[in-house]
Amino acid sequence: MALELSRIEDLKTDEMIINMGPQHPATHGVLRLILTLDGEVVKHVEPVLGHLHRAQEWQGQNRTWFQYQALIDRVDYLSGMFTSWAMARACEQLDGTVVPKRAEYLRVMLSEMNRITSHLLWLGTYLIDLGAMFGFPFYPFREREKLFDLFEEVAGQRMMFNYIRIGGVLRDPKPEWFAQLKKFTDEFPDRIDEYEAIVTQNPIFLDRTKGVGILNKQLAMDYGVTGPCIRSSGVELDLRKTKPYSVYPELDFKTIVTDHDGDTWDRYMARILEMRESNKIIQQCMAQIPDGDIIVKKQTAGLRVKAGEGFAAVESPRGIIGCYVTSTGGEKPFRFRWRNPSFCNLSILPELLVGSPISDIMAIFGSIDIILPDVDR
Amino acid sequence: MENVAEIRKLTTLSIVWLTITFSAVWVACWGLGIGLPMLLENVFHYDNPVLVETLRFFVPALSILVFIPINAMFMVLLERRALAIFTVRKGPNRVGPDGYLQTMADAVKLLLKEDITPIGADAVMFTLAPIVFFAPSIIGAVPLLAAVTSNHPFYQSLNLPTGIFYVLAASAIPVVALVMAGWASNNKYSLVGGLRSAAQAISYEIPLVMAILSVCVMAGTLDMVKIAEQQAGGFLHWNFFGGGALIGLDRMIAASMGAGMGAETGPDISHHFYPYDGISGVAAIILVICLVISFCMYLTGACAEINRIPFDLPEAESELVSGYNTEYSGMKFAIFFLAEFTNLFVVSSITTVMFLGGGDNPIPPYILDKIPGISSAISALRESPICSQWHFINPEMLFATLWVIFKVYAIVFFAILVRGTLPRFRIDQLIAFGWKRLIPLSLIVFLVLVFARGFVVCHG
Repeated sequence: MALELSRIEDLKTDEMIINMGPQHPATHGVLRLILTLDGEVVKHVEPVLGHLHRAQEWQGQNRTWFQYQALIDRVDYLSGMFTSWAMARACEQLDGTVVPKRAEYLRVMLSEMNRITSHLLWLGTYLIDLGAMFGFPFYPFREREKLFDLFEEVAGQRMMFNYIRIGGVLRDPKPEWFAQLKKFTDEFPDRIDEYEAIVTQNPIFLDRTKGVGILNKQLAMDYGVTGPCIRSSGVELDLRKTKPYSVYPELDFKTIVTDHDGDTWDRYMARILEMRESNKIIQQCMAQIPDGDIIVKKQTAGLRVKAGEGFAAVESPRGIIGCYVTSTGGEKPFRFRWRNPSFCNLSILPELLVGSPISDIMAIFGSIDIILPDVDR
Repeated sequence: MENVAEIRKLTTLSIVWLTITFSAVWVACWGLGIGLPMLLENVFHYDNPVLVETLRFFVPALSILVFIPINAMFMVLLERRALAIFTVRKGPNRVGPDGYLQTMADAVKLLLKEDITPIGADAVMFTLAPIVFFAPSIIGAVPLLAAVTSNHPFYQSLNLPTGIFYVLAASAIPVVALVMAGWASNNKYSLVGGLRSAAQAISYEIPLVMAILSVCVMAGTLDMVKIAEQQAGGFLHWNFFGGGALIGLDRMIAASMGAGMGAETGPDISHHFYPYDGISGVAAIILVICLVISFCMYLTGACAEINRIPFDLPEAESELVSGYNTEYSGMKFAIFFLAEFTNLFVVSSITTVMFLGGGDNPIPPYILDKIPGISSAISALRESPICSQWHFINPEMLFATLWVIFKVYAIVFFAILVRGTLPRFRIDQLIAFGWKRLIPLSLIVFLVLVFARGFVVCHG
């Protein structure tokens, strides 16, 4: 027996190097992973970034404040509201602006709507990553479209909203808009129940996600992982609670911490529960929203921000977005520096992938929910 | 219920396409096998039995040649439209009237595309792989043709005494082609895809064959035509419902409705079919359960065999780009695609013949006779010149064909439904599921079935 085992050791074959991406159908954009495989098992991973580098920070120094405001939505195109919000808050810090209450409520409402659309898209694409190519993945898109219609009505855009401006928000929604949103929020929990009924306890889904890609607390903290990823590893890091901003202290919601193993199923569950919480936040906002102004700063091409340095962070669907801004008081910003959650979350990937089979690459990679423009900026 | 309009459209589309497909096939076959000889004899007074026999010899080949491409086109369209409905979309509805010609356009596009052989690929193997993949699905389907057409004179010559054995043997060949394609492509994704398909096929062939074997044990024959004929007489005779263990029950119901054979009474029949009374009853129930499990096992194994979700690991798109056919384009890819859908059709036909009674009407004849108008309609059809003079159709064959079509496409639709619902397995889970669950289960079922069969009078 011992002899045979040693023979099997001798049979060790060559490792195979595969370039996964940037044109691979499942890398969510243009990520390139250099995989070293032994059979089907991953031995080494090297993510290669930069295929989508658009010099977003540099462009900030070459645009006026007003132009850059519109551009920054594109960094994370699935949740543009949050990058705008981080920038607006950093600039308001310099200006010392007090944003009107109604504007703050609108910001929270639309951002939570955006969080839902982002998680819905994640849910759909994640199931595609797991091989449910048809069928279920399109159902979340149905609800997402409804929210996009609402966005379109109030911001004029379906994805690149440019709605949150320095000093307030762009437009006040009509009363009918609130009625539509109310209808959506009323039926949305039932929809999530539908998704959960088909996915959450599906045996194949459980086989594919339980115990796969375990991210423990310490590792997550070491790598600076944020968002649902770290919360599903049992760390209660949610800026809306831990460092409250805007009107979040006035709202009643839970931080979702799924404290089991930190595997992909937990990350899935964290996002599902977050959508429910977001829905509750929207409902509360609609009940509590006061009347009043929505913007205090004039939105013209000559928009300027007072000199100084400011930093603001918001909790986006993917994690903490930080915006550091330096202004000289001129017509262009002096320097912008962004802290993007996707970049930090992606850095965990090699740790999680080593030792898992090829099939799990996408199960793990999808569960981290990165977005490539946000990684490369 | 937001999709009622789409569902109605899909139904219309299916009926139209199926009518066109089967009419085209039958007109071609009838023309070659009956129409042309009749024309020669009556108009040109040229009567040569050798010629007639030769023409008839080519009918099966012609029917396959006409049927397979049209059918694959229809199935692709059906799949796309059905998946669209499951996913609250519209599906292809632009080419031709309401998208009816979409797959024709796709086929033309594929035929006109450049045929690329990648640098470093083994050109001979690369070209051979699609052929080796496609050929068995035609050759293997040949005995099936006799069974699904209720042993029509045209196709009788195709039947083999070892029919199902031959079909299963032929359906095991395409795996070789997948490994060939994977190896010859000079692409690492293709290679992994090809190796996966080999591992998968070895694991799932066994439960699949064991499931079929249990049917053969119940039927006492490997001849597919005989297996189909045995199941005639209503759904209780089907192999799915106990492989003939419920025939006695069926007879008893018939007797109680006053339509039994001769002067049989309930207890007589019971004594004949279930000689050990209570034990026989238990055995019959066990047989029903075993056969239902076999049916499910066959469908599972067949899904794995033809690489459909949730067993589509060889071409897992999110992992391996497109698996073994990553490097294929144009005509060669079209053949892979065609063969995949033909395989699905063949597998559904095997299921229909082996488990669902082939062309049998699910409604038992003693109930059917009580419905007024049916027998008169059939005899009227038989009297009409279409049947009596031109031999274009005969009523029994017509209804059998309709039932076969209905059953086969119901299983195809089920496969599409599964595809629209389930995620994919991981390869190690797939192999573990095959070896640790399905194979032991299939062996247990087979063993139980063999013992239980002794207590009940069945088909064989």
